[in-house]
Amino acid sequence: MEPTVAPPGRASRREFFKWWVNGTIAVIATTLAVPLAGFYLLPALRRPRTVWNEIGPVEEFPEGEMRLVALKPLERRRWPESWGREAAWVVNRGNRFVAFNTHCTHVGCPVQWSPQARSFFSPCHGGVFDADGRVLAGPPPRPLDRYETRVEKGVVYAGPVYRVNERLERAG
Amino acid sequence: MPGPGRIAAYLEERLELPTIWARFTDRPLPKGVGWLHTFGSATLFLLLVQAITGVFLAFYYVPSPEHAYESVRLITSELAFGRIVRGVHGWGASLVVVFIGLHLLRTLFMGSFKYPRELTWVVGVLLLLVVVLFAFTGYLLPWDQRAYWATVVGTHIADYAPGIGSFLMEVLRGQPEVGTRTLGRFYASHVLFLPAAIFPLVAVHLFMVVKQGIAPLPDRRAVPRTREEERERYRRAKAEGRPFYESLAKDALLALALTVLLVALATFLGAPLGDEADPAATTYVPRPEWYFLFLYELLWWFPGRWIPVATFWIPLGLVLVLLSLPWLDRSVHRHPLRRPVVTSATIAFLTVTGFLTYKGTRAPLPPAPGRVRPEAAGLSPLALEGLEVYARAGCSACHTIDGQGGSAGPDLSRVGQSRSEEWLVRYTRDPRSTNPSAEMPPFSELTDEELRALAAYLGTRR
Repeated sequence: MEPTVAPPGRASRREFFKWWVNGTIAVIATTLAVPLAGFYLLPALRRPRTVWNEIGPVEEFPEGEMRLVALKPLERRRWPESWGREAAWVVNRGNRFVAFNTHCTHVGCPVQWSPQARSFFSPCHGGVFDADGRVLAGPPPRPLDRYETRVEKGVVYAGPVYRVNERLERAG
Repeated sequence: MPGPGRIAAYLEERLELPTIWARFTDRPLPKGVGWLHTFGSATLFLLLVQAITGVFLAFYYVPSPEHAYESVRLITSELAFGRIVRGVHGWGASLVVVFIGLHLLRTLFMGSFKYPRELTWVVGVLLLLVVVLFAFTGYLLPWDQRAYWATVVGTHIADYAPGIGSFLMEVLRGQPEVGTRTLGRFYASHVLFLPAAIFPLVAVHLFMVVKQGIAPLPDRRAVPRTREEERERYRRAKAEGRPFYESLAKDALLALALTVLLVALATFLGAPLGDEADPAATTYVPRPEWYFLFLYELLWWFPGRWIPVATFWIPLGLVLVLLSLPWLDRSVHRHPLRRPVVTSATIAFLTVTGFLTYKGTRAPLPPAPGRVRPEAAGLSPLALEGLEVYARAGCSACHTIDGQGGSAGPDLSRVGQSRSEEWLVRYTRDPRSTNPSAEMPPFSELTDEELRALAAYLGTRR
């Protein structure tokens, strides 16, 4: 059994060894934790470079008709961004093209356009959006996100995704 | 060859193992330990089954989006016994959740978490959290549509954490959208990080159980006034009890039954594998696994700025209440009837969770052409057409009929009693012409024929 009362002179020696071992553990833990935390967290925060996508020739989009389009990246994406197709709901508004992100703004379920109801429906919690992406019903907190679009030489392109507020102005 | 007796003597001389083992199996359990006390050991048994089947699945599984789905398809439909191994792992996951839940409820109702076992309870709650993380991360690995979309929704929920939402979501996903890095992170968590967390937690939990002994059964009348009285009562309960190895027989029988059940489920129902994950799909209907359904269903009830209540505050509150329960329920009473607040709160929670889960299994499907519902029988051709219009136009997103549908608009189950068909046509075409403050959008795109058919269908709802 360990003596409960240290003999004189031993207490400080004991304290020193305790301090030494605990200090060593703290230094080792910090030395490993800093690179490991950075390794885990920081890559997640790096924005992937925006790649513009081809949507298709203007004449394939009759005015006012909502179409689901698979986006064709203009340059090969590098791994690991190379996996997965992307699609957008695209409509020709006459003077401009609007491309909606297919994810509901509530919890990300894929929205489906109904031509009869002229609305987007989310299959998860009853989110409904109108033809401009505004929330008509259900829990979504903001209108559908949109892709930047541009038209060049008769072809429509989609760029980065952005959020809009209730007045459909760009936000964030 | 040395006989078993000589091996035992060898181990006794060097490690005293037979003595330690005998002290472990011969220790008396308090009187009244019965079948309700087998849930913990059943959970432990199921966790071991998960660990073993998981190790073997890892021999064939490839955690990359290019190969994950194909490797799971190979395991399920081509490899010998692959369907059984994956089936046992998949159904085992559900059973772990069932039994850890039963074990928690048994401990809660019997007040077993009280002095001196508060820390055993806290470690148990941490184990529950690890099991939930196991379930969440494992669900993505098959990389089919179910897996992919459940993870899109599950990680999107992190976006509503106040202040750090988008940071948290991207850290969980490893990138802005669910993809290659998400799969890598979930795989490493599922097969390395979480096992490394659960083994020491289980060891500490078991050490505490053995060190302090199984809690005595609650007694409604004999309530110990002091901790000394409590300890004395426990000594008497142990003196009247049976040794652990007799209780182990019950545990073994339950483990055998669970093994048979798991193999039967794996053989006859297998492990489902849907279509491969596709982020561009727009017709897929995401649904979580049954044990997350109550949280998923809760999202219906908190729209717009209230979303964080369902996605953050309620789950956080549940975890904090569970962790601090030994300090919230401090009375000396253990019997559920002597702790009316905790008992009724638990029953209320179970009722609400059960109701939400039930609602979740009957959630309305989004409008889709050609999806006809069973109550179509007996309708006139016009009303039948109206039923299809109802489905196509997405009325069920806001309106409920016979318990199916959204809650943003009025329930239409009996609308035919109070509204004429002419009124319904007029109102649906332009609600504000009838009620200037109506929130329903005008359905002016529907033709007169469609509106008449819709009104005819709604007219039958009496």
